[in-house]
Amino acid sequence: MKVSLEQLKTYVEINVPVNELCDRMVMAGFEVEEIINTAETMENVVVGKILEITPHENSDHLVICQLDIGENEPVQIVTGADNVFVGAYVPAALHNSKLPNGMNIKSGKLRGVVSNGMLCSGEELKLTEDDYEGASVYGILILKGEPKPGTDMRDILGLNDWIIDFKITANRPDCQSVLGIAREIGVVLGTEFKPPVPTYKTVGDDINNYMQLEVKNYDICPRYVGRFVKNIKIAPSPDWMKRALKASGMRPINNIVDITNFVMLETGQPLHAFDYRDIKGGKIIVRNAAEGEKITTLDEKVHTLNSDMLVIADAENPSCLAGIMGGLNSEIKDDTKDLFLESAKFRRDSVRRTARALGVRTESSARYERGTDIMNTEYASNRALQLIYELGAGEIVDGVLDANNGLPAERELAVSVNKINALLGLTIDGKVMVDILNSLHIPTVLSGDTLTCRIPSFRDDIEYMADIAEEVMRIYGYDHIVGTPISGAVLRGTVTPERALDDKVKKLLTSNGMYEITTYSFIGSHAIDPLNIPADDARQASIKILNPLGDEYSVMRTQLVSSMLTVVGLNMNRKNSSARLFEISKRFMPKALPMTEQPSELKTLSMGLYGDGEDFYTLKGLVEQVIELCGAKVTYERSDEPYLHPGRAAKAVMGDKTVAVFGEVHPNTAEKYDLSNKTYVAEVYLDMLASSETPLVIYSPLPKFPAVSRDLALLCESTVPVGDLLDIITKAGGKLLENVSIFDIYEGAQIPEGKKSVAFNLTLRSAEATLTDEQIETVMNKVIKKLSDFGAELRR
Amino acid sequence: MQQKLEQIKAAALAELASAEDSKAVEELRVRYLGKKGEITAILKQMGSLSPEERPKMGQLANEVRADIENAISTAMAEMGKKAQELRLKKETLDISIPGTVKEVGSLHPLNSTLDKLIDIFKSMGFDVVDGPEVETDYYNFEALNVPADHPARDMQDTFYLSENMLLRTQTSAAQIRTMEKRKPPIRIICPGRVYRSDDVDATHSPVFHQVEGLVVDKGITMCDLKGTLETMAKEIYGSDTKVKFRPSFFPFTEPSVEVDVSCSECGGKGCRVCKGSGWIEILGAGMVHPKVLLSCGIDPEEYSGFAFGIGLDRLTTTRHKISDIRLLFENDLRFLKQF
Repeated sequence: MKVSLEQLKTYVEINVPVNELCDRMVMAGFEVEEIINTAETMENVVVGKILEITPHENSDHLVICQLDIGENEPVQIVTGADNVFVGAYVPAALHNSKLPNGMNIKSGKLRGVVSNGMLCSGEELKLTEDDYEGASVYGILILKGEPKPGTDMRDILGLNDWIIDFKITANRPDCQSVLGIAREIGVVLGTEFKPPVPTYKTVGDDINNYMQLEVKNYDICPRYVGRFVKNIKIAPSPDWMKRALKASGMRPINNIVDITNFVMLETGQPLHAFDYRDIKGGKIIVRNAAEGEKITTLDEKVHTLNSDMLVIADAENPSCLAGIMGGLNSEIKDDTKDLFLESAKFRRDSVRRTARALGVRTESSARYERGTDIMNTEYASNRALQLIYELGAGEIVDGVLDANNGLPAERELAVSVNKINALLGLTIDGKVMVDILNSLHIPTVLSGDTLTCRIPSFRDDIEYMADIAEEVMRIYGYDHIVGTPISGAVLRGTVTPERALDDKVKKLLTSNGMYEITTYSFIGSHAIDPLNIPADDARQASIKILNPLGDEYSVMRTQLVSSMLTVVGLNMNRKNSSARLFEISKRFMPKALPMTEQPSELKTLSMGLYGDGEDFYTLKGLVEQVIELCGAKVTYERSDEPYLHPGRAAKAVMGDKTVAVFGEVHPNTAEKYDLSNKTYVAEVYLDMLASSETPLVIYSPLPKFPAVSRDLALLCESTVPVGDLLDIITKAGGKLLENVSIFDIYEGAQIPEGKKSVAFNLTLRSAEATLTDEQIETVMNKVIKKLSDFGAELRR
Repeated sequence: MQQKLEQIKAAALAELASAEDSKAVEELRVRYLGKKGEITAILKQMGSLSPEERPKMGQLANEVRADIENAISTAMAEMGKKAQELRLKKETLDISIPGTVKEVGSLHPLNSTLDKLIDIFKSMGFDVVDGPEVETDYYNFEALNVPADHPARDMQDTFYLSENMLLRTQTSAAQIRTMEKRKPPIRIICPGRVYRSDDVDATHSPVFHQVEGLVVDKGITMCDLKGTLETMAKEIYGSDTKVKFRPSFFPFTEPSVEVDVSCSECGGKGCRVCKGSGWIEILGAGMVHPKVLLSCGIDPEEYSGFAFGIGLDRLTTTRHKISDIRLLFENDLRFLKQF
């Protein structure tokens, strides 16, 4: 809400500088978004009276003016405009002046002749016809009347003001008005608040001779106040009113429209003026629209309505979208003779729904949506009549049409001083609270521990003790709140097992040189395409955002790989030669589409590796470590994940569940992400692993007897999985086999085509005694035999 | 014979003194003390001595042998020491070369900041809970005293997924879920991802993170709220950090405040980081609204509580002086490696 300081000063005494005013308002709950000094835009521009005009000897389009600027000597200024004349009053930007368009003017020579400044056009002063009559004329701005030469142009233009933009919180609709803010300033500064008291003279006659009013829906329109003004004289508004409108961001139109807007800004109560000629049958009916009924609004847009929407209709058609915008047919025109003035209360949720549904938002609807004061309708109406009267804009007819279904009674709220203090943790005296509440125009009396507050109609937001506590506190001052530790039982903070697991996994991964990334949970509708996931895969059924910021952020991701590969691509592109990245985030899997219940949010780990030394096995090692950390028992199988290299893709399977998928990125997918290096990517489904408890370690005694080490070099078909050989050795080795590891896998020279050599190291040990040669021989022979049965022969 | 033995001893010691390396000493040992050595040769002649002389000579021969042996082992030890000194000297390294490091990664700065917060609040007895990111209208708005068509809905531009499902705009939804499940005393924080329909720029992101806090018990006051937030702010920004309350409005707290901390860059004098004000706004807070307590079946006459919502992204960027929030979501390794 932008308000002019000058206007505020007409309602309340402001005895502090503008910055202090703003600081104190902030501490009372009114954040200041911006302070604009209108005077700052223009400096050292004064009224000059042209005394003499002489031709310029070196130019046929320049002339030399001598101007009276209120000093002893005239100043000489050269101009190229041809509308100047002797005796004209013009704005003169003197040496070292500043113009609103950012220009700085200095003395200089124009084609050899000294010019001590510049004469200004309306455009150079950033003025329009609304600001100053004649401002749009091509040439120098010729001022009206005979202003005193030397007068600061800011005084002529009313630019010695401050405009303060207050952010009004949703609970204070009463402060969506200049008067509301002035009332708060009075409380904060402790000065008197003087709202205008509307007085005017009527010309007799009777509104009932012209108009009938019927409200069909008191639920949505609890009060409708109508007045009648005849013999309207449409004219421009006075400058002070135009300035106030512009300060608040509205455009002046004519006296009647401006008065309705001015009073809305001033009181917070929207008003609407109808051209009487266009009210068919002289009747206003407040009713719900018929389904499919149409209205053309002031902005010449046609809206099709439904039966939830409230309209102000005449005997035949809707004339106005209640509380939102007037109809084109009944607007005030240059030749309007008589008008009907509406001041009504509409329910905020109804206005909000209609405004949203039709995509219309106005100053009026904004105020209704936040809530207006039912008792303010009459005041605002009278205030508008006062201005019509004072400006001589029309003749006010006697009588009021006031349709309401009974006005709400004043509310009383009784609260305990002790309870307020208990909530705040302070010991504020009850009498201090009474003074604060009374200053806030909440008449309050104290009896014992009880404050009895009469809640004014404009403070619908006050319902509970906590609301009174806040009112007291924001005026008493939050500086009085002093930090204390929470009292009560000593509690021990815990984290969920899921979060504890995340933390363990993150520790493991970072200690393996991995960096955590953070990416958005929504992705583009086609972001999944490069992964070549089949159309019938569950991951293609993603939840769409109904109102996304753009296609780029439009669906909830069902996998983390696309985000990971995007980040990998970015890092390759930025010439980061290698990277180990991970993210723990959620995949959003709907239970049905369209959604009938909240989706599954599945905690998932993604990893991405590239650069020297990275290969399938470095990734597999990380996957194995994570799974082991979770205490899960898995087997590894080939995976047909479409975005992975078919020969270098694996999955970890636990029971019938896949708990991880990983491998080298398929060249087709890599190309789409512009991945210049081989990239290895994994998804580990932590939501499935979280349930497997990490087993407690049970100590086993350290060996007392020496171990024996034996190497085995085998020759087998190159397609044989080494994992199978390991399994055979482990099984055949039995109890005495302590460990088996691979130390070489080789294909090539000296090895027959289609074969490979695999070398293992076996460690044998007994817990009971030193192994004898015989025992060792037995074990080794058994292992070799089993391997041979499998087709893996000892290399000799 | 005695003379001979003494000659041998003198010769051996003399040779030993001039021996240059352990090899020479070893040769010397073999030559004098070996099976075919000179002392052995002498002892073989013992048979030609009289029975009286034999023990005397035997003793003398053993003494000579022992003397030479001792001298040899002393010389050997000396030489070993010298050789080791020499070797160690040769093995001297350039200690100015940087050490070999196995690279350790790091958490994303949002999560390292979150971990710090979790530590702080756990130590004050707060449980860490999680809630769903896809919320129902009820938990995100209605139960938090923001009914449909309420103007407070304009405070947050919401992403909708269906008529009554949305991406949570605030972790406050977790307040309701917690109060439905637990009874006071309640002390929780709920960190998580939240979504608002803000266009991306240097200070806005449609995806960001909050840490919701909720305390409900008998006798909880606004001073407790300030004390709790002061503890947090001092841990995060430094022990001389000050906390300021400014009145504000949230539908689910009453009274409501915006919470500012003194600017850690300038200490409150006013600088570019705090836009000259000396304060940085980091969170919104307040006393839990009686309607919210009631809708969770908690009697506001008996219990009171406070709630706060920390903007984790803002806390992280101000703490690490990160100028643009987009850096957090871009994930350039050169950025990540700084933390």
